Amino acid sequence: MALLKDKDKKKVATALKEITDDVTIVMFTQETECQHCEMTRTLLEEVSSLSDRITLEVHDFVADKELATQHGVDKIPATILVGEKDYGIRFYGVPAGYEFNVLVQDIRDVGKRDPNLPDTVRSELAAIDQPVHLQTIISPT
Amino acid sequence: MGFPNFTLDTSMLEEAPEPDPEFTYDLLILGGGPAAMSAAVYAARKMMTCAMITKDFGGQVRETSEVENWLGFQNINAKDLADSFEEHVKSFDIPVKLGTAITTITKEKDTFLVTTDDAVTYHSHALLLSTGKRHRPLNVPGEKELVGRGLAYCATCDAPFFKKKKVVVAGGGNSAFTTTLDLLKVEAEVTLVNAIKGWQADASLVERVKRAGTVKLLDNHEIVKIEGADQVTGVVVKDRQSGTEEHLAANGIFVEIGLLPNSDPVKELVELNEHGEVVVDCSSRTSVEGLYAAGDVTTVPHKQIVIAAGEGAKAALSAYDYLMRKSLL
Repeated sequence: MALLKDKDKKKVATALKEITDDVTIVMFTQETECQHCEMTRTLLEEVSSLSDRITLEVHDFVADKELATQHGVDKIPATILVGEKDYGIRFYGVPAGYEFNVLVQDIRDVGKRDPNLPDTVRSELAAIDQPVHLQTIISPT
Repeated sequence: MGFPNFTLDTSMLEEAPEPDPEFTYDLLILGGGPAAMSAAVYAARKMMTCAMITKDFGGQVRETSEVENWLGFQNINAKDLADSFEEHVKSFDIPVKLGTAITTITKEKDTFLVTTDDAVTYHSHALLLSTGKRHRPLNVPGEKELVGRGLAYCATCDAPFFKKKKVVVAGGGNSAFTTTLDLLKVEAEVTLVNAIKGWQADASLVERVKRAGTVKLLDNHEIVKIEGADQVTGVVVKDRQSGTEEHLAANGIFVEIGLLPNSDPVKELVELNEHGEVVVDCSSRTSVEGLYAAGDVTTVPHKQIVIAAGEGAKAALSAYDYLMRKSLL
């Protein structure tokens, strides 16, 4: 069953037109997929088909344990966006609902090699000189 | 195999162009709630050049769960309603500056200058202030430090985090009682604290809360302190009659004591009433020629979505008449 409706495909394809460099989406699922793993894989397959610049790699969390560990993945479904390097972008669970916007925007930003942040924010972030643990509590609405 | 309960939000993927600081627009619309969005639709249909500057789309509509008084819908999900407003606005080619606060508004001859917090100044011949309201704070020790750490202003957004927890709700009006009912749905143990003697909420809401039988009602009590280091652990309340203070253990507190108009950028420019609302006449005109206001930021009574939307439409049409009369279109 297709998850993206035609009008959504159009919007996503338009957003992805801005991509200038290659993006690899690395996804971890498992052989016997849970429902959310299957939803995530299906969604990523549909999104990646909308741009020639996007490659989707699907890995088995159990069989490819070493690779999962290298990426710091300890749960599935996991989605990683990689450009010229791994920027540390991770989505756990289905990137649906509002997070779908974020997924597409992040793919676009990685593909443009531009985090789309004002210079003031970049310089403030560059000034951080020690590890910071950020935990985001997501509201259900 | 089908996938249950699956939605994909693509609203943020259609990014409108940003307003041009070098261009003088017919109308600049400040705000992104129902008044602003309705005004934008009317302005676009009048072929006025207009742009919007707002922190977000939807305003307070996005803070509620369901709407039962938007004509044509006996009940509509508030997010769906706000999304449909946003989609309608985006169907027009209106430049939008999102995520920005307004710092100053001035007028030089027939031109308004609006400066945003990133130090960019935009220009227009007519201006609509539809910046809505924000939650009124308690202004007690601990409040600022504990926002988002157990202290919340939006039950629709945050009530589910307090499932089976002890929660204090500050306020005695409809918002406080609605919040209490939202918290009862997640089996929270609620204490309702009203700083004024006598509940101001609709009798039906008060009755529903009382009927639940589990809510502790503290009338004529003021909150004097919110306690907690990294997280709310308690609240100190004072009986306004006896003067005695009591410590209430709590995992969270919802502040529902009313709203303040977002009129600061124009407080030196236009006439405000004693509550800080922008005084408007029946044509949405303010005390400054060419400056219009609509929605919750104004003196228009009854802060309702349908009223804000109507006022926004009226303000855009009044601005159009003004620009025509001044030969500025």
